[in-house]
Amino acid sequence: MSPIGVDEWVAQHTDRQDAGTGWRRWMYTLEARMGWWPRLAIVLVAGLIFGSLSLNSNIEQVAINCLIYAILAVGLNIAVGWAGLLDLGYVAFFGFGAYGYAIFSSDALGTDGSAGVHLSSLVSIPMVFVAAAIFGAVIGLVSLRVSGDYLAIVTLFVGQAFVEVANNVDTGTLGGVNGLFGLDPIHAFGHQITTPKGYLYFAIVVLAVLMGLLHFLDGSRTGRGWRAVREDELAAEAMTVPTKVVKVMSISFGAAVGALAGTIFAAQQSNVFPTNFTANILILIYACLVLGGVGSIAGAALGGIVVTAGEQMVSSPTDAAYLFYGLILLGLVMKVRPWRVLGLVLASTAVLGVALHAIVGAISPAATGGTPGSGGWIGDLVKHWVIVPTNATTYGNILYVATIALVFAVVNVRPRWRPYLLVPTIYVAACCWESRLIVNPSITAQILIGAILIATMSARPQGLLGTLRVEVV
Amino acid sequence: MAEAAALLELDGMGIAFGGLRAVTDLHLVVHEKEIVSIIGPNGAGKTTVFNAITGVYAPDTGDIRLAGESIAGRPPHKIADAGVARTFQSLRLFLNMSVRENVMAATYGSTKASPIESMLRLPRARREDREVRALTEEVLGFFGERLAGYRWEQPAYSLSYANRRRLEIARALATRPKLLLLDEPAAGMNPNETLEVTEVISRLRDELSLAILVIEHDMHVVEGISDRVVALDHGVKVTEGTFEQVANHPAVIEAYLGRDPEALAEA
Amino acid sequence: MHELIQTIINGLTTGFLYALIALGYTMVYGVLKLLNFAHGDVYMIGAYIGYFVIQWFGGPQHLSIPVPLLVAIMFLIAGLGCGALGVGIERFAYRPLRDAPRIAPLITALGVSFILENSVLLLFGGFTKSYNTESFISPTAGIHIDGAVIDPVQITIFVVSLLMMWGLTVIVDRTTLGKSMRAVASDREAAEMLGIKVDRVISYTFFIGSAMAGVAGVMSGLAFNQISATIGFLAGLKAFTAAVVGGIGSIPGAMIGGLFIGLCEAFASTYISTKYTDLIVFGILIVTMLVRPTGIFGRPALQKV
Repeated sequence: MSPIGVDEWVAQHTDRQDAGTGWRRWMYTLEARMGWWPRLAIVLVAGLIFGSLSLNSNIEQVAINCLIYAILAVGLNIAVGWAGLLDLGYVAFFGFGAYGYAIFSSDALGTDGSAGVHLSSLVSIPMVFVAAAIFGAVIGLVSLRVSGDYLAIVTLFVGQAFVEVANNVDTGTLGGVNGLFGLDPIHAFGHQITTPKGYLYFAIVVLAVLMGLLHFLDGSRTGRGWRAVREDELAAEAMTVPTKVVKVMSISFGAAVGALAGTIFAAQQSNVFPTNFTANILILIYACLVLGGVGSIAGAALGGIVVTAGEQMVSSPTDAAYLFYGLILLGLVMKVRPWRVLGLVLASTAVLGVALHAIVGAISPAATGGTPGSGGWIGDLVKHWVIVPTNATTYGNILYVATIALVFAVVNVRPRWRPYLLVPTIYVAACCWESRLIVNPSITAQILIGAILIATMSARPQGLLGTLRVEVV
Repeated sequence: MAEAAALLELDGMGIAFGGLRAVTDLHLVVHEKEIVSIIGPNGAGKTTVFNAITGVYAPDTGDIRLAGESIAGRPPHKIADAGVARTFQSLRLFLNMSVRENVMAATYGSTKASPIESMLRLPRARREDREVRALTEEVLGFFGERLAGYRWEQPAYSLSYANRRRLEIARALATRPKLLLLDEPAAGMNPNETLEVTEVISRLRDELSLAILVIEHDMHVVEGISDRVVALDHGVKVTEGTFEQVANHPAVIEAYLGRDPEALAEA
Repeated sequence: MHELIQTIINGLTTGFLYALIALGYTMVYGVLKLLNFAHGDVYMIGAYIGYFVIQWFGGPQHLSIPVPLLVAIMFLIAGLGCGALGVGIERFAYRPLRDAPRIAPLITALGVSFILENSVLLLFGGFTKSYNTESFISPTAGIHIDGAVIDPVQITIFVVSLLMMWGLTVIVDRTTLGKSMRAVASDREAAEMLGIKVDRVISYTFFIGSAMAGVAGVMSGLAFNQISATIGFLAGLKAFTAAVVGGIGSIPGAMIGGLFIGLCEAFASTYISTKYTDLIVFGILIVTMLVRPTGIFGRPALQKV
């Protein structure tokens, strides 16, 4: 054979990587050899153990939300990650599932105060699941006439139309803006799930089973058909893949999974409102998928958990502080090299803050009279570092604009000026965070989600667990 | 060569785009186990013929028959199922899928397992999976060292240009075709690789009993493989016959080189 | 009869707004093939800029300068401010993704839209703000036709919109910049090789498109009084509909599409029900897309095999 060429050399790249010695090597080989199902099993067991520890109901609620978004992201991945169809109406399927469950598990179908339909969940959930698959197939069929960006547009309108329908159509049954409430919990054969812990277990099992099934589907002819369509529709068609059928199937499967998440969501919170299914939620689900890695089941699930947990953390001052300063540190550690520069940046930021705080405090006590928003030990730590005036709103607003301007500048200046600019940027951002952002956790969470989307796309478009794709135009 | 049954028949096929007639009244027959080359200058309508046969465009006039059955106007995947596979001039691999998966994807039409069966790993899904894997290895094995084992798990975009062309052929073979359409299989290859392609095409016919229709610009390849050559110009068949007959046909020379100025002056 | 005329007038008013926003969508799509979801929010920010200009000059009741001058300043500042914002967004968020997979800039656009909307919520609060237009521009003045009124705000909207559309057409058809824009739209790489400064052309495109959205934002404040951080999304969506119905990438398409959507909306809310207006508009969009997937003026893209 010909002498070793570049291809071979590249191919053996992983083999040449030094895994170290001793336990690290052992871990490395174990990690490399472990199949997908032991991993899933480990995560499942870890999840169940996590659930069985006596948590407070607040954490349990956060965990359930994380799992619901993980299921949603895994479902979204089918159409978006595998079949490459930009489905912006996905949130409608989530809503469809939630409303479907709600209608058949409440007094909604009852007239004049009669009891309505209260189906067993063993009937209602499969029914909603199948109905959503059909609904998805119909949407898919309709969308077949358009492709690419146009598909995104049409589906976006489907999502919007769903909210409009939930708000306006047949308010007697669907409840209009007031939504539906007083839903039955998940129940069958006289048993019902009432505690958050019960839903936590249920959601973990659903997610794990779903991931397993989808893993098999991914490796099957159907999964290959989806990916072939994503890569090159015309070539797929020429290679015996009925692209239309395959595309409709992907939207339909995604719809069913989204609706499944919807049923759990509705049953657990016992009510549904149109605002639960707006474009904001759609963007949140996309943030989950994109951060985790488009095209990867594990990535989608991880993204769902991370993004939702992050969003919930923002509402607690202590957790939010961990999140904010943790992310800044992580970003610096990843991006700033060499270590010397990193150390200098951190040290100067600390010194700058303490000095400014002292100077400003000496001039006007009111200017440092406020308390930082962060709780816990971080709050105590930064008390003499960030400047938070007594009346912080306007000050915080100005800093917010300044932060954006500084971030903009950091991204756009020449690399050698970046470390110098980083110091004021971090400091201003921290002051802004302590005085303004953390006071408005719900808005801050949304801003952070937006920032996650932008940062992920420009720094690591494949997300945490995805693989980088090439695209030839 | 013994007269075999006609596998593909184009019967007065014509295609127009708007007012432009890309192919006019084309009659073309490919017999079983026959290699036919289509030559002609750029824009002669060669690829359009391929697109019509594979169902990308429906012909406006005339008919296309595969083993006696009309396939004109059928969707491309049905035509592929019926036994017509193709490669693309511009290389349309599934770049982000592995080499193995590229080939496996082309077995969609020959497998039946529903998504539910695949998800639950029911017997039919498992059996088909084994068959597909075996077929994949067989098809990739056809190219020997060139697409050897370690490359199978690599994404297609990591392949060299020549290997991409090989993979396109392998992928087409995985559809279990009777007729293979190769659109410039030697384009962009060096002389060595070109020679190899020539051999591969002959082997495809001899070992897999395929009928092959080739579009090719490299006259050495055309000479080396063709049982018959068809020359197209402006969508019209100029002539047809053995390589020597076609290569020396005045209309072909004219189509490629233009009219001899002296002859023009005399006319 | 006057109801019909009034409906048409109102429809044209919203129609011009949508058309102006749609032009931005369509231009950006033309040069970058990007659905700029943040565009609606740029429009919203234009409306806020207008609001603050009014406050700056003494508030609606005690204006310190003549009304025409105020309106001109509002248009000017909102246009320039939003134009700059658009350029900034492009530079910060979209430019690094020029060669990324198609999905990346789209997701980024969603992120930018999210950030803009929530930043306004953070800075200016969630309450709707009111222009109080009627306290400095009389709604009953203007042209009366058979009981229907075209009030001064509407006249301004018609005139300014038409002027801007005319200006845009001139820029695109006659100037070097316009030629460069068309070149970039049809083939970015080739344009770059021919010495066209592609980045600069894209920046100009964003500037013009965003400036028009900003002016449209001020117009909407003047015409409908109420502004809030969330108006961008729906207006953006409808303008988007307009751009798509007209054939995205086509400039006359966006204008006519905008007017069409505006009229549909007005007729739907006058003659059917305000409750279903949005549903009807979305329905029109979906039907148009299905009947003519590339819009009324869009040309189907050639696919090379």
